[in-house]
Amino acid sequence: MSESKKYCLETGNKNSALSYFESSISDEIQYVREQKSQGRGIVGFYCEFTPRDLILAAGAIPICLCGTSQNTISHAETVLPSNLCPLIKSSFGYSITGGCPLLNDADLLVAETTCDGKKKMYELLAKKRKMHVLELTQKVNEQRAFDLWLAEIAELKQVLEQTFDVEITDEKLTQAIVAMNKERSLILAVQALGKHKPSIISGLEIAKTRYRVAGFKQHLSKMTLLLEQANDRIKSGYQAAPFHAQRVLLTGCPTGHGSEKIIEIIEECGGIVVVQEACSGIKGVFENVDDSGDPLTAIARKHFNIPCSCMTPNKGREELLAQLSAEYRADVVIDLVWQACHTYNVESALIGEFVRQQLGLAYLKVETDYSDSDREQLKVRVQTLLELAQC
Amino acid sequence: MLTCGVDIGSRTVKLVLFDGKKIVDSLVSLSGRAPQSQALELYQELLANHQLNQSDIAMTLATGYGRNYFELADRASSEIICHSAGVVHYFPNIHAIIDIGGQDSKVIQLGENGRVVGFVMNDRCAAGTGKFIEMVAQTLEFSVEQIALLALDGNGACEISSMCAVFAESEIISKLHDSTPVDVILRGVFRSVANRVVALGNKLSLTGPIAFTGGVAQNAGVIEAIKHRLNSETLFVPPKPQITGALGAAILAYRSAS
Repeated sequence: MSESKKYCLETGNKNSALSYFESSISDEIQYVREQKSQGRGIVGFYCEFTPRDLILAAGAIPICLCGTSQNTISHAETVLPSNLCPLIKSSFGYSITGGCPLLNDADLLVAETTCDGKKKMYELLAKKRKMHVLELTQKVNEQRAFDLWLAEIAELKQVLEQTFDVEITDEKLTQAIVAMNKERSLILAVQALGKHKPSIISGLEIAKTRYRVAGFKQHLSKMTLLLEQANDRIKSGYQAAPFHAQRVLLTGCPTGHGSEKIIEIIEECGGIVVVQEACSGIKGVFENVDDSGDPLTAIARKHFNIPCSCMTPNKGREELLAQLSAEYRADVVIDLVWQACHTYNVESALIGEFVRQQLGLAYLKVETDYSDSDREQLKVRVQTLLELAQC
Repeated sequence: MLTCGVDIGSRTVKLVLFDGKKIVDSLVSLSGRAPQSQALELYQELLANHQLNQSDIAMTLATGYGRNYFELADRASSEIICHSAGVVHYFPNIHAIIDIGGQDSKVIQLGENGRVVGFVMNDRCAAGTGKFIEMVAQTLEFSVEQIALLALDGNGACEISSMCAVFAESEIISKLHDSTPVDVILRGVFRSVANRVVALGNKLSLTGPIAFTGGVAQNAGVIEAIKHRLNSETLFVPPKPQITGALGAAILAYRSAS
């Protein structure tokens, strides 16, 4: 038990890129406010399916507004049912409390039909805010499903052009794709630090590097700095966990700042999260946009390929899990399901079978919400899984 | 060589002193508001009873909710693994364990050599746990021991269908108002506990010899209800089911120290 205390987080070092990302929201709020006052458009969105590339091509700033805090949930529950996904409740709660400056500054919200709860919540949000909903078709192998999605992306382009009175040319699209590809590659490089064995960075540290505002140059330079500082860790022999710590591939619903409970529990129990097969990890960045063909089609294709549980059948998730479990040398897979997320919840039966039988790895599904009330119960499950996998 | 297993549960603290073959001694007390100091006191009491020093204990292994906070422990292990080790000590051929404690119910599936191959736990809800049964006893103004015996005497059971401990209590109160006999209500309560835990277990595989452990396994009414639900005459209950986790911890400590 005492051994794990040697592997604590680096804290208090203000020059470390990790410390920067821990508190990057204040820099983002300031940046967005400055840009807004200079006339730049601000677009909030709630899902990886919304293409940041297109928003950047319109000259606007894309901001992910997914709620990850327990604090706004009680406010949301004055309108929404309590038995609903915490991500939906938390996101909606911010519109009630007005407590998110990034949301307050947004000129347009772009949303998508990835789940029924979100879809209906957006209708409530639309009463107060300018909202555009993308209809995400879900039969991932069907050409006509893709064609409809492409038409949705084309319509979003028009909405952005009208809202911000700009023309989105192919040249602007290509420039935005190149910029976003660079940004996605940097995020992927940071995620890939989890491949080291013994680990040089904890899953919690990597999770804290995720930010909300895309195309913010300061973030990009800090990510480059983070990669340099990771090299220093390697040179100094730093270990984020003992060599034999169980390496956990976390899959399923996304975590975020304030909803990292499951990562904390895994790492308190002596495991180490090496990669997240989730929107908060690899899912949005494992593939880039093809920068050679028709830019709009390429943008639509990259986003349509995201292996979210809302797609059917979602074989892409199994392929990604197989790839990641090999690349990151995972020992166990933990599947995080937020309460009332029906698609991830049901899909876990397929994923559990795939992980156990095809990958030959231990598997645990955890269904929870953002509150701390079940921490100890979750610890029993996680600790048992890690102990058993070690035997 | 002696080892000690300490199970700091949500409702009770259990200690077992083990010599490699048998239980030398065991102690149980309520966790109360300071479970860690309660466990420390019990530990000192156990040593004093046998004129032992702390250095005479080759290894101490903690389990239960408080496992990671017990300062005298050399190691901590999950209660699922400890319960399995404790059960296998008595019944080496068990295939599954039903464990109902103060605020958890679990079903553990065992493979070859008593190895844990699967487990399921109740979600964040008190229905079907020891705390729920305590609450029912309190509502009916009996002790927990009394309600177990009352349920054994008579036939028939009413349906308690609520999935929530608080709503189940109101259901019981309405049964009292319509003059349903107490023993019929109690059998209904125990069958609802059995139904919940067996449904949980059916997510795995509840075949072969099954053991029942945890504080609630002291309740003959619940034992009967689980047998009834499983349609089985046999349910293996260790001699002191409440200390199974602490015994397993002591056994695992003995293996580590050997």
